[in-house]
Amino acid sequence: MINSPHTVQGLDTHGNTNTMKDAQITQQLQQWLIAVANNRDKRAFAQLFSWFAPKILRYGVSHLNSSANAQELLQDTMTNVWKKAHYFNADKGAVTTWVYTIMRNASFDMLRKMQTQREEMLSDDIWPLVEAQTAQEGEYTDHLMQKEMKRYLSLLPDAQQQVIKGVYFQHLSQEELATQLGIPVGTVKSRLRLALSKLKQKMGGKL
Amino acid sequence: MITHHPSDELLAAFTQGELTASLSIAVAAHNELCPVCQEKVEKLNAQHAQMLFDTDNETVDEASNDIQEVELSWMSMIDDITDDDSQSLLVPIDIKSVQLSYDKVQLPRALSNVSLKKWSKLGDVSRARLELEEEPIRSSLLDISPGGVVPLHTHKGFELTLLLDGSFEDDMGTYHAGDFIWLDKSHTHSPRTTDGCLCYAVLDDAMEFKEGFSKLFNPIGSFLY
Ligand SMILES: [Zn+2]
Repeated sequence: MINSPHTVQGLDTHGNTNTMKDAQITQQLQQWLIAVANNRDKRAFAQLFSWFAPKILRYGVSHLNSSANAQELLQDTMTNVWKKAHYFNADKGAVTTWVYTIMRNASFDMLRKMQTQREEMLSDDIWPLVEAQTAQEGEYTDHLMQKEMKRYLSLLPDAQQQVIKGVYFQHLSQEELATQLGIPVGTVKSRLRLALSKLKQKMGGKL
Repeated sequence: MITHHPSDELLAAFTQGELTASLSIAVAAHNELCPVCQEKVEKLNAQHAQMLFDTDNETVDEASNDIQEVELSWMSMIDDITDDDSQSLLVPIDIKSVQLSYDKVQLPRALSNVSLKKWSKLGDVSRARLELEEEPIRSSLLDISPGGVVPLHTHKGFELTLLLDGSFEDDMGTYHAGDFIWLDKSHTHSPRTTDGCLCYAVLDDAMEFKEGFSKLFNPIGSFLY
């Protein structure tokens, strides 16, 4: 079922140029998505939209049999990208994989709606976008908080992530961290301050 | 320890959204218990995404004079979408529990929004159908009470059993929670459980009972379908 000629990345017969280009695209897409997540950046969203739209439409036409359905799929998918951008976690995979998941889910729910009388959306339970978060017997505590924290953390620039992880997850002192990163203690302090205020803002004062 | 997994073909079809809801739920519920298959699916996701998105044939298929029109419709869609500035919030999932003959058991997340019909009981087996509307494919939860036996049978079509809780044995071995067991016409078996178990079963036709004596159980053949 996956016998397409271009399945595996890295088996690239045209030398390194493609791989380099791929890496650039990957990074560019990620920057746009993070701008949407952090700043509700509409221009970045428009960029993402133009990059994905033709591909989503092509998929929609071949899976849902009409261009009207393909349009609806495009709208559904990109609406979710806009509304759920803050759940994207770069550690878990590329932006393309994330968008694919959202598109596949939307397409699955549309197909079911076309084929049955039923309205319930099953796709997010079958292919969860975010790891299971259940409201079971008061389990809504540290573990969940940490997971949520990690997700917000992944939205910060690398340098800021580093200091937060160092201080709060590895429990290093600011001096130790400065030595480890080879930067002045003052820089650690200012990065930490910046990162914390951003996190607070993202988490709605839950920190 | 899970020893029976969905085949690679099934995992690939699952990843691409090509399976029916009943089978997608089965694979998803298995993966909730099986990190091995979960990881395979994550890799497949990335592969399919790459096939679909990382292509260079970047053309909008419409003739070039349509492009402006297309872009206009996109602009209005973009405005439409970004008009609503709210972000989705996580709604905690409401995991269902069911009271069975032998215990109270949590259902997998994949089943949390599926409606169940009423439980009905015949012999050692209680069955609750899922309301998925995928005839002729039917899926059910089966609660087999401690000491329960399903008479020797074969399958006209396929039978997928995902063991959700407890354990059972048949002539081919012992199965544990998470085991994903795919059987067809070539298999005959008679599952039995010592301490009770909960299965999620997907069938596309009635069971056929083999032995003379078991023919008495014919009603159970259509009951279990
Ligand atoms: Zn598995």
